[in-house]
Amino acid sequence: MTTAAAPVIAGLDGLLLSMADDEFVIGFSDSEWTGIAPMLEEDVAMSSLSQDELGHASALYALLAEVSGTDADALAFDREPADYRHARLLDQGRGDWAMTIARRYLYETSDAVRLEALAGGSWRPLAELTGKLQREERYHTMHIDAWFQRLARADGEPRERLLAALESLGPDAGTVFTPLPEEPALIAAGVLARPMAALERDWRSRMAASFANLDLPALPATADPARGRSDHGDAFTWLHGEFTMVRRSDAGATW
Amino acid sequence: MKGDGHGGSGPELEAWEVFRQEKEGDPMRHGGSVMAPDADLATHYAREMYGRRQESVRLWIVRRADIVDLEDPDLLQPPLDRSFKKPGGYVMREKLAAAREAAGQEKPKARAR
Repeated sequence: MTTAAAPVIAGLDGLLLSMADDEFVIGFSDSEWTGIAPMLEEDVAMSSLSQDELGHASALYALLAEVSGTDADALAFDREPADYRHARLLDQGRGDWAMTIARRYLYETSDAVRLEALAGGSWRPLAELTGKLQREERYHTMHIDAWFQRLARADGEPRERLLAALESLGPDAGTVFTPLPEEPALIAAGVLARPMAALERDWRSRMAASFANLDLPALPATADPARGRSDHGDAFTWLHGEFTMVRRSDAGATW
Repeated sequence: MKGDGHGGSGPELEAWEVFRQEKEGDPMRHGGSVMAPDADLATHYAREMYGRRQESVRLWIVRRADIVDLEDPDLLQPPLDRSFKKPGGYVMREKLAAAREAAGQEKPKARAR
């Protein structure tokens, strides 16, 4: 961990919070498959992938704690649901298997584009962490590509469920790219290579190619794009209750 | 990612045997098996089951149906006495020691593991 004082880069805390909350929420949500996944190997795989996401969240919260002079656990667990800044794409629970796969596909492909724009950035701790995340995400990409294609190419129920999931997720699909507060400052400082709007365009053209290849309908535009990381709704309030339950049962407890 | 099974190769699960290497230079040892519909997911699951805690440096994942299996006792344990095939009276260790002594050489140290 860096020992130099963290620089004051406007917008850095907002960037780190959005990334940490994304990884934390999807990690926790998908970990709900543990014990009930469709087959044994997937139970292990999905649990392992979820643990990876929680590990990524932990590393990001730790960087944010450094930058903002707070505590990583407090950041992760002690906020009200309205104060979380994850993408609206991740608000719902895990749903059925097709919903989990569809959502992971949309999220992982978005995250890959985001990480590319952060790689080699000017603030070394984040640039180094980005490099490590990209290496681990290769493994996530292998898994989600295999499953997304399996469901899309299978006739009957698997494909139908995938289509239903994509229709439900469509209006929120692009919310990972919600413009960040003080984004121009992040770009000027060399932390973020390009604006979120440009990253979203790239992502959408990649999705267009991949979806056309699998004969899937094109993704719609994001609904209410300015609130892509707020107004999380009841489903997230429930999820928040789940993942803060232990912490709230004995505030201040240590292991 | 190598493998012929790139999604959609059917709903059936097949058994894949997994061989793992603990560290560089070790032989591949059978670890167990996973069920998967194709090579890509078989590889993913093999990594989960036999490599997620960094316990292996290499994995071989083989479709069980592709393994040529031999257990015919007529071939492997034929009934007639063939002990002449084992050179039991020719102890290598003794012969080597004698050859070294004749040549005035030291026995080399054991290779580090």
